[in-house]
This record gives sequence, C-alpha cells and structure tokens, in this order.
Amino acid sequence: MRILLIEDDQSVADYIVKGLKQSGFTVDHADNGKQGLFLATSEKYDVMVIDRMLPHVDGLTIIQTLRAAENKTPVLILSALGEVNDRVKGLKAGGDDYLVKPFAFAELLARIEAIHRRQESSTTQTRLKVADLQMDLLAHKVTRAGESFNLQPREYKLLEYLMKHAGQVVTRTMLLEHVWEYHFDPQTNVIDVHISRLRQKIDKGFDRQLLATVRGAGYMLHDPDAE
Amino acid sequence: MIVNKVFSSYTFRFLSFYVTGLSVAVMVILVVVYLTMSRGYFNEVHDSITHQLDTFSDVYQQHGIDASRAYIDKQMETLKLNRYYYLVVDEEYKKIVGNLGDWPKFTDYGGGWLSFELDLLELGAGAENNDFVARSLQLPSGEYVLVARLYEDVIVSAQLVSGALLRSMLVTIVLGTIGGAIIAGLSVKRIDVMNKSIQQIMVGDLSERINVSDQQGDFRELAYNINHMLDRIQSLMNGVKQVSDNVAHDLRTPLTRLKNHLADLQQDLGAESQEQVRHLIEEADGLLATFNALLRIAQIESGSRRSGFSQLDPRVILLDVVELYEPLADDKSLRLNMDFQAGLEIAGDRDLLFQAFANLLDNAIKYTPAKGEIELRLVAMGKMIHVTVADSGPGVPQADKKRVFRRFFRVDASRGVEVGNGLGLSMVMAVIKLHGGAILLTDNSPGLKVEIELPV
Repeated sequence: MRILLIEDDQSVADYIVKGLKQSGFTVDHADNGKQGLFLATSEKYDVMVIDRMLPHVDGLTIIQTLRAAENKTPVLILSALGEVNDRVKGLKAGGDDYLVKPFAFAELLARIEAIHRRQESSTTQTRLKVADLQMDLLAHKVTRAGESFNLQPREYKLLEYLMKHAGQVVTRTMLLEHVWEYHFDPQTNVIDVHISRLRQKIDKGFDRQLLATVRGAGYMLHDPDAE
Repeated sequence: MIVNKVFSSYTFRFLSFYVTGLSVAVMVILVVVYLTMSRGYFNEVHDSITHQLDTFSDVYQQHGIDASRAYIDKQMETLKLNRYYYLVVDEEYKKIVGNLGDWPKFTDYGGGWLSFELDLLELGAGAENNDFVARSLQLPSGEYVLVARLYEDVIVSAQLVSGALLRSMLVTIVLGTIGGAIIAGLSVKRIDVMNKSIQQIMVGDLSERINVSDQQGDFRELAYNINHMLDRIQSLMNGVKQVSDNVAHDLRTPLTRLKNHLADLQQDLGAESQEQVRHLIEEADGLLATFNALLRIAQIESGSRRSGFSQLDPRVILLDVVELYEPLADDKSLRLNMDFQAGLEIAGDRDLLFQAFANLLDNAIKYTPAKGEIELRLVAMGKMIHVTVADSGPGVPQADKKRVFRRFFRVDASRGVEVGNGLGLSMVMAVIKLHGGAILLTDNSPGLKVEIELPV
C-alpha cells in the first residue's frame, strides 16, 4: 500500500513515517501544502494522511481540490482541533475519517486500514464471511457452522462492523463512532463488556476463536487458520 | 421583607436624621415667625387701645358726657369682637358715663395697663369670664378714663397661628418621612436589583455583566466599576485556567511520543519486561486520558460548541446510554428502573449530552453495590426537562455535594477504591451549564440522586 503523508510538524511526520514503514507500507512525505497537493495530483496513492493546518495551502483546500478533480483516494484528516464542527467540516470537504492529535500509532494504523478497506469494498455486499461465520445482510441472519444466533440489534451492528473490517485492528474509539455513533470518552471499559458478550455468542464452544483482543490497540475479527 | 430592608437601609437612616434636623430647623423658623407675628399683632392692639383712650379722653374733656355717650354708641356699631368698651368714673370710682358697669377688679401691669375678667351677657351664653385688656388714665380733672377691648380674639388668633405653625411642622415631618421612605425604597430596590445580578453572576456565568443602561448616576458608576472588577476577576481566572490547559495541551504530545517509544521498545523485549512496559504504557494512557478530559472540559466551558446545537430527543440519547451500559449493570446484577417520557425535544449537543448521561450512569453503576437498584427518569416540567439518575450506593456526604463538581475532587471513601480521574462530574457540570441547565445532588437515602434540569 502506498501512502502520502502531508504534515508540517517534523517530529510527528518522522514518527508516522517510521511507523508506517515498519508496518510494511511505502510512504511519501510532504511538509507543506503546495508540495503535498503536487504529489497528490501527480502520483497515485492508496491512502492519504493530511494535516489540517499546513503552510501555503491548508489541508481542507487540498482535499476539496482533489475531490473536485474526481480523485477518490481515501483521505484521513489529522488535526489538533477536536471540535465536532471541525470534524464535520473536514468530512464535508471530502475527508473519509478524522483523527485528533495526539493519537496512538495503533489508532492511526487501524483507521488507515479501515478507510482503505472501505474503498475496496464499496460495492454493495449482501453476505459477509469470516471462516465459518456468516452474516446475511439482507435477511439479518448470522450463522456459524450452520448454527444461527440470536443477536441484539446493537450486537448485530457491532458484528457487522467487525466483519466488514475482518483481519484489521478496530479500536474502541472506532467502534464507539461507528457502532454507537457517539463521539465521547467512556470512563470505563464498557466496550470490552460488549465485545466479551458478543464473543460468548459467536466463539463459545468453537475451537477457532475468531474475535481476538489486540493489546494496546483494540480488537480484530479474523480467521486464525487462514494466516 | 422589603419593608424591613427599607427601614434598615443606610439611606433611610440617613433620611431619618435629615428629617429630624429639618424639623428642628423648621421649628426654630416657626417660633421666630410666631414671635414676630404675635408681637406685631399685640403692638397693634395696644396702639389702637392707646389711640382710643386718647380720643375718648379728648371727647370727654372737650365735649362732655353727652358727646361721650354719642361717641360710644357710634363705636358700638362695629363688630362685637373689635368693639371697644369705655368707662369714665369719678375719683370715688363712681360711673359717670360708659358701656361697662362698674369699675372692674383688675390686674395692674403698670403704665396704665390692666386686664380683667367680666361677664358679657350681650355675647351670648357661655360668654362668661371674658378676658379684657384695658388701659386707663386719670384726667387732670380727677376722673378716671378706661378703654377696654376683648382679648378673646387676640388669644384665638394667636392660637390659630401657633396651631397652624404646629400643624405645618407635623406635615413637614410626615412628608419628610414618607419622602425618605420612598427614596430609600427606590434606592433599596435598585441596590437589590444590582445585588441580585451580582449573585447570579457569582453562582453562574462569570462572563455575564450588570446591565449598565438600567442604572443612572451613581448607580451607573457603581455598576461600571463592578463590571470592571468582574472583567479583572475573569481575566485572572482565565489566566490560571489557560496555564493549566496549556500544560495539559503541551504535555499531550511528549506523552504520546513517550507512549509510542514504549510501544516500540516493548516489541524488542522478553516476556517479563514486556509486561512491565505494558504497565508503563497503561500509565501513560491514563495520563493522556486525564489531559484529554481536562481539555475537553475547557473546550466545553468556552461555549464554542453551542454553535453545534441541534434539536434532539433526550429519550433517544438516554436509551442509547442505557443500552451501552446495560451489560455493566448486568454484571453486577443491578436493576435499572427506567421511566422516560416520550416526544420531548431540546436544543443541545448530542455527543456531549450522551457523555454527561453516560458519566452519571457510569458512576451510579460503579457505586451501587451488587443487586442494587438504579432509577432513571425523564419528565417534562413546564419549560424544563428533568433527568434523574438515582442510585442506592453510599451517596455523597452533604459537605462534599458542592465539591464533587471540582476538577480532580473525589469523595474520600471512593479514593483508590474505584478507578476514575475525578473529572467525570466536572464534565457533567460543564455540559449542563453549556446547555443552560442546572444540576442538583440530593440524598436518595440510601444513595445519591442526581437531578438535572435542562431548558426545552
């Protein structure tokens, strides 16, 4: 995967570049808006990570310019401003996700993979499948090894999100934002409880445990035998 | 209440002193007026008696008894009260001519002046013992001549004058007091208005100011000065807050870097060291969460999020909160009793209200012992909605009820027992204030009852 990073803060940029390279990605870095826009329009990238506040051309202008030119590369916006309005502005400008600085690298990585995947699987799916776990999006039915489960609506939504991002790390914040659709700061490990309930339903009694906890990052639904 | 305030006010006391002083001054003036007036009046009476005496003596001496009688008759035609009475007696005090009976028993004041009492039947019933003032002289021929005048009217008019003066003094005092009370009342009312707005500012939003245009003169200046003082207090407070917010903000980046370095390090270590580094990372995460919460509160308090308000149904948010936290309550076998009124709408920030209700329910779940009960209620009351979260935990001691909203404050009993950074309720308070609402902690005996009031 080829990633473009447009970020003027040298230490943040170094840290992201280093982390992404370690994760096996190819990274180009621009430290101002002008150069960033030039790279973004002349090269082909899988994902772009763009800071909002940039010298010469600001982040939102870059995104608007790209979208106006029919460039649909997924964009993750970085910002020091955590305002809801800023988030909305960023997403309206054409950003795919929004991450407030400072962030843990695991969060950034999970979000980059998520928006990349979203791009790939944008075609409407009617059926999700991870190992022997299957979800029928039309009939709202979940089965594992032919056995069907009774899931609460929220559990269904949680599992759907996890299955759509199968094989990727999904952070707690991402789950709150996409499954519960609230941007807030839970004081307790309330998400963990929901995950363990879901795990009880889909993994209990099976040899292969599909729903894994990724320490320090979040969760991942995957087929352990497939890797 | 307001009456008590008026009488105890400085203005009123000042005015009481003023009225007393004024009364004394008015009294002095009136006494002088009375003395001057009565003196002039008495002099006039005396002069006219002396004049009558001279004229009558002349008539008697030069024209004899008949002319005197004619003179008297002519004089008797004037008004009774102003009438003069004449008497001429010989050396043995035997009446020669006159319209008085006998030479009366009199009190002598010297210089020929005398006074006596006499019944004057012609003045009608009740006219006994009329006071007369009189002057007499002895003619060179030996007869005594006396001219008397009723004193009644002089006394009456003197009484009239002094009565009028006394009454006007009373009126001065009464009017002065009433005026003083009214003026004191007005100034008390104004001070009251100002006091109320100051109290409101002190308990609520420090950025509010006293309305200067409502005030006039001295009060306007006072309002100006109070506003300036509030400006100063606010800027000092902001300074302090800014420093702490900046500290939180500036420490976040190095902390994140520290955490990332630790994560890098973790991968190169053996299992045992990895575990230790994991603890370090958790510590760093905790610190970051605290800083983030602090900054979030600061941001909410700045009021900038008000622009993102939309119309929303509080019931939907509460149901979502309950849905998110229900598994936590289940784990402790807690019963959640819910009673949410449907169809309500308030203007607010969805995420922040969720955060506030979540913090409250999170606390309630944390502090309620296993198998306890938690009650959640949403009702509309007039132009407000009330949200109640009541638990059956240990509650909050009365003395701490106000302090729990302070940043980093934790009730002693919960320190170290439950996880938390002491910012949960500060966050709730900030959110509720942003929405123009109020929050009240009461006893649920046992437990804590949090009542929130939000404007529709």
